[in-house]
Amino acid sequence: MSNAATTRGGAVRPTRSPLWIVERGILALLTVVVFAGFAIHSPVMATNANIANILVQTSYLAIFAAAQALVIMTRGFDLSLGSAVSTVSILCALTMTTLAAQGAGVSAVLAGLVVALAAGGAIGGLNGFFVAWGGINPFIVTLGSMNILLTLSTTISGGFPVAPLPEAFRALAYAEPAGIPLSVLCAALALVGLQIALSRTVFGRAVLLIGSNARATIMGGMAYRFHLVSAYVVCSALVGLGAFLMTARTGSGEPNLGGNLTLETIAAAVLGGIRLRGGQGDMLAPLLGAVFVTVLSNGMNLAGIDGYLQGVFLGLVIIAALSLDRLRSKASA
Amino acid sequence: MGVSRGALAAPMDTGILRVALRIGVAPILIVVLVGAMALVEPRFFSRLNIINILRNFSFLSMIAIGQMLVMIVGGFDMCVGAVMALASVSGAMTMGAALVAFPDLPVWLVCLAGVMVALGVGTLAGLVNGLLVIGLRISPFMGTLGMMSALGGLALFFTRGVPITTVPREFVSDLGRGMWLGLPLIVWIVAGVILLAWWVMEQTAGGRHLYAAGGNPQAARASGIASGRVVTSAYMASGLLAAGAGILMTARVGSGQPILGSTAAIESIAAAVLGGVSLRGGIGRVTRVVTAALFLAILSNVLNLARVDSKWQTLILGIAVILAVLIELKASRRSDNE
Repeated sequence: MSNAATTRGGAVRPTRSPLWIVERGILALLTVVVFAGFAIHSPVMATNANIANILVQTSYLAIFAAAQALVIMTRGFDLSLGSAVSTVSILCALTMTTLAAQGAGVSAVLAGLVVALAAGGAIGGLNGFFVAWGGINPFIVTLGSMNILLTLSTTISGGFPVAPLPEAFRALAYAEPAGIPLSVLCAALALVGLQIALSRTVFGRAVLLIGSNARATIMGGMAYRFHLVSAYVVCSALVGLGAFLMTARTGSGEPNLGGNLTLETIAAAVLGGIRLRGGQGDMLAPLLGAVFVTVLSNGMNLAGIDGYLQGVFLGLVIIAALSLDRLRSKASA
Repeated sequence: MGVSRGALAAPMDTGILRVALRIGVAPILIVVLVGAMALVEPRFFSRLNIINILRNFSFLSMIAIGQMLVMIVGGFDMCVGAVMALASVSGAMTMGAALVAFPDLPVWLVCLAGVMVALGVGTLAGLVNGLLVIGLRISPFMGTLGMMSALGGLALFFTRGVPITTVPREFVSDLGRGMWLGLPLIVWIVAGVILLAWWVMEQTAGGRHLYAAGGNPQAARASGIASGRVVTSAYMASGLLAAGAGILMTARVGSGQPILGSTAAIESIAAAVLGGVSLRGGIGRVTRVVTAALFLAILSNVLNLARVDSKWQTLILGIAVILAVLIELKASRRSDNE
């Protein structure tokens, strides 16, 4: 880390250079401009109902992008994120339909949540195991697990949505404790929790140090493999939580729920300022990136832009974000 | 012989593992698989089934060679499947448009135009990939992943997700279903492509530059190799080969398919790593990758004969890639220690 400062605790943390503020400012400004542009084209964009809609959609993507960001910080990558979402959705839906058929109500929902978190954690554990102990390139590990999970989600479900889900579960999508939608609340808690973990705990420092200098982590006597695996487990457990909430929203376990999510999370994380070479970043990045990606896709939907063309735009956004990433690295080097 | 680190580093040893590492696991697995089939499944050796295997092998080995070229220069090509789809669609659309616009044109010229457009599209996509990796210095994996989304989106957008059926009948009957000396024309064409790739990689300066640019970029640059240009041409070749596989598949199924090649990336990477191509670049042989592609084609056929759902084959590919890389890492660590 070239631009690092020693904080009170004696730990090394990247300083927040003016460049950092400029970048975030530009992305926020760009989001407003894109929003305004679409709002002029289609007035529905700026209605309260649609803004609330964008907020909820952002909350899911923010959870997933935060998970992706955590792994990218270790100089890793999770290509299996999207298919993990599908698999978890199917698994927790199956748990709930089975238990609900036996008359369980709220306890079925709790069991569903436990299964979602456990399945997510297990997926992350496997990814992390092969990365940390196998020493395999994370791209390859998660490319492999992506294909494995793709098979699991489609075969377990037989390719069909899993329904009917308990009423109590579907009500979660519209639950608003203290006037805030549940998914927004969860996203806020997850992001704040992760940010605290990153800046205040050994785990957080280990994650950033693994990304910037893995050898130093080992030399420094940190439990390198443990923390690396933990990063993947936390990532996928978060993915499990997000998949659980999204399943409540769609009302059934969907074998294709993950769809474009992997690409969207990468776009969001990198646009927000997470560096691909690892070792840097905070949780504001996936949040800002998720808002931008959601506003863009929501606007394109309202403007009636062909769903197929949106894939093209997503690709272009990713390439733009990657070019930006290179420019940043050059600027800070 | 190319400057292949693996071949140079392999010491003389008679251990089974060493032998396996030198010639690759694929030939052994092929023998085992074919032997097992000889015992339990006579249908495997029917003429039609063998032709079927060879045809699937042809498509796969074409993209696998492209993937190998890109991996030798230290990259990845995640968008081979999207290039196949876009080439298939654009080729079929060109032929359809040419048939309508110039009804008097001889059919072979119409087909040629379609093939040229498809190959051009693929090469162009490869050029863009190369420029992203070399010009903008984007990570190859991510850059081609973005391109995958963009190109796949274009293929779907142009066709609205519906196959393009305006392909001339002769294109299908003569090229797609054509036979020569008892084998499909497609197999002969791909055999030619494989030979050409082998010749370029093993016998020409171009191949040596490719190995050098991937194995040690600094040394390559120091010895006057324009490594940027070499890397870009590897991506272009991969695009060209993927487009070639796409257009041959179009001839085979008789329509331009926007959803072609959904598993092409994982299949080609599986063939490459099973064929001993190093993820760190600089290592990879045409013969071994082609053998691995043959193994995967036989495996897929065996699983079909055993009535295993094709979805499970994707799962097996996922596991195979991880294991193959694990073995490769173990082997390279062992040789590093000596």
